[in-house]
Amino acid sequence: MANETQHVRLRGLSHVFTDGREPLHVLDDVSMDVPHGQFTSIIGPSGCGKSTLLRIVGGLLAPSAGSVRIDGAPPRDAQRRHDIGIVFQEPALLPWRTVAGNVRLPLEIDGARRRGTEAESLLNLVGLSEFRDYYPHQLSGGMAQRVAIARALAVDPTLLLMDEPFGALDEITRTAMRYELLRIWASQAKAAARKTVLFVTHSITEAIVMSDRIIVINGRPGRVVADTAVELPRPRTQEIERSAPFLDYADHLRGLLDGAAA
Amino acid sequence: MNGRLSSILRGVAVYGLPPAIAFAVVIGLWEAYVAWRDVSILVVPAPSDVWERFFDDPGYFWEQGWWTLYEATLGLIAGSAVAITLAVIMAHSRPVERGLLPLAIAMKVTPLVAIAPVLIIIFGFGTTPKIFLAALLCFFPMLVNALIGFRDVDSGALEFMRSLRASPWSVFWKLRVPSSLPYLFSALRITYPLALVGAVIAEWFTGNRGLGFVVYSAAQNLRTPELFSAIAVLAVIGVVINIALSLLERRVLFWHESVRSTR
Ligand SMILES: Nc1ncnc2c1ncn2[C@@H]1O[C@H](COP(=O)(O)OP(=O)(O)OP(=O)(O)O)[C@@H](O)[C@H]1O
Ligand SMILES: [Mg+2]
Repeated sequence: MANETQHVRLRGLSHVFTDGREPLHVLDDVSMDVPHGQFTSIIGPSGCGKSTLLRIVGGLLAPSAGSVRIDGAPPRDAQRRHDIGIVFQEPALLPWRTVAGNVRLPLEIDGARRRGTEAESLLNLVGLSEFRDYYPHQLSGGMAQRVAIARALAVDPTLLLMDEPFGALDEITRTAMRYELLRIWASQAKAAARKTVLFVTHSITEAIVMSDRIIVINGRPGRVVADTAVELPRPRTQEIERSAPFLDYADHLRGLLDGAAA
Repeated sequence: MNGRLSSILRGVAVYGLPPAIAFAVVIGLWEAYVAWRDVSILVVPAPSDVWERFFDDPGYFWEQGWWTLYEATLGLIAGSAVAITLAVIMAHSRPVERGLLPLAIAMKVTPLVAIAPVLIIIFGFGTTPKIFLAALLCFFPMLVNALIGFRDVDSGALEFMRSLRASPWSVFWKLRVPSSLPYLFSALRITYPLALVGAVIAEWFTGNRGLGFVVYSAAQNLRTPELFSAIAVLAVIGVVINIALSLLERRVLFWHESVRSTR
């Protein structure tokens, strides 16, 4: 499985929800290859199936058609190896556990590997060591989301699935978190050890600033309408948001999103 | 002066005084009405008669109250244990839920106190029929609340655990059980008083001990001050249980909105 070069491979994914009154076709023939260590954003209008796609990749939902391979095997193998970390729009912390207790949760789950990272150093990483004994209801939205990120990193997964992780935050916090996540992602000493990130967002700025590559999904059912590499130098700082290449990317993406929606 | 003590005193004054005054007014009106209309003590005793009878032998009433509380508590524990066990199975299996829920609802709509005489025929005059009836009355509310509680988990937290292939066992202990605690506490607030009802009613029919027995035999013999004393002890037990549950809930559910919003 390690001889696979692609980390995530999707082939002809389609999904139809049949639990409603009428079958709902949300994804149609989605294929992509994501190499190890790539930061990929998935952008598209509300309801086009981005969350559904992420849940399929994470093995939380079986697709109606098509195949998902993570390191050449079905998602459940990656789940079993604790190789997937998920962050949702809501932090979804356990309110009866402290910050440290929430971060430790994945390590208490059966079969957790010893390679898991200490809660202490994770809290350092997300800048919350002083809040280790706080309860979720004592945290701000941004802090809670940082705990959720630390929790997802606890088992040291190679694949991070993030579904609009900053979607519920205010603009200022959101901008700060963006660069914070980039810092965390880049904190791996060797670029080869970097985590593969699939990052769902509604924000064009967020997608460009963070990603190596942006996949645009549009339509109902959702299809891949564009797949763009972002060739901006790293490390990226907030200045990049005013640079000419950034603005070109933004125009290009805006065109793709508007055009396909019409 | 100690700030904490003064804030406790203020709390007592703010929350304790109004009901105390209301209670005193009701007792005063009752006393006045009985004196004014010269109501026979065989029909309704004055509060002062009840007071006199109670303090004539308080140990007797507390002892009978203790029996009732004991039977009710054992019934509560037994009924809850069965209900929670079934709820765990039902929460993990829709077919079992579909099979058992209608039976449980049938139990709910049956006035179960009507079973009391049957229980005495089956179990005799000991504590068993009392515990059994108390358990029966507790069963349904506990089952429904536990079932909802085990199911009502945060979907994000559940998906997170599933993405690590957590076993149903660890999902149950780490997620479902803590999530169900608020529901179990609301259930206890309903079921503990129901358990008392069950124990008292079973005691009516068995005539040897407990406040239900005191109420029944006092009514038979028109000893109304004794009857009202027994009812007052039941009321005190009910209030004490409620306060104890509130205090426990505050400690256990410190993280839950229901507790935080009252702070
Ligand atoms: N469990 C489900 N059962 C039935 N329909 C669902 C389910 N989950 C999602 N859907 C439907 O599938 C469609 C796509 O949903 P999805 O959440 O994937 O969209 P999205 O692109 O993530 O949208 P948003 O940007 O608003 O989060 C929606 O129309 C939604 O109603
Ligand atoms: Mg979504």
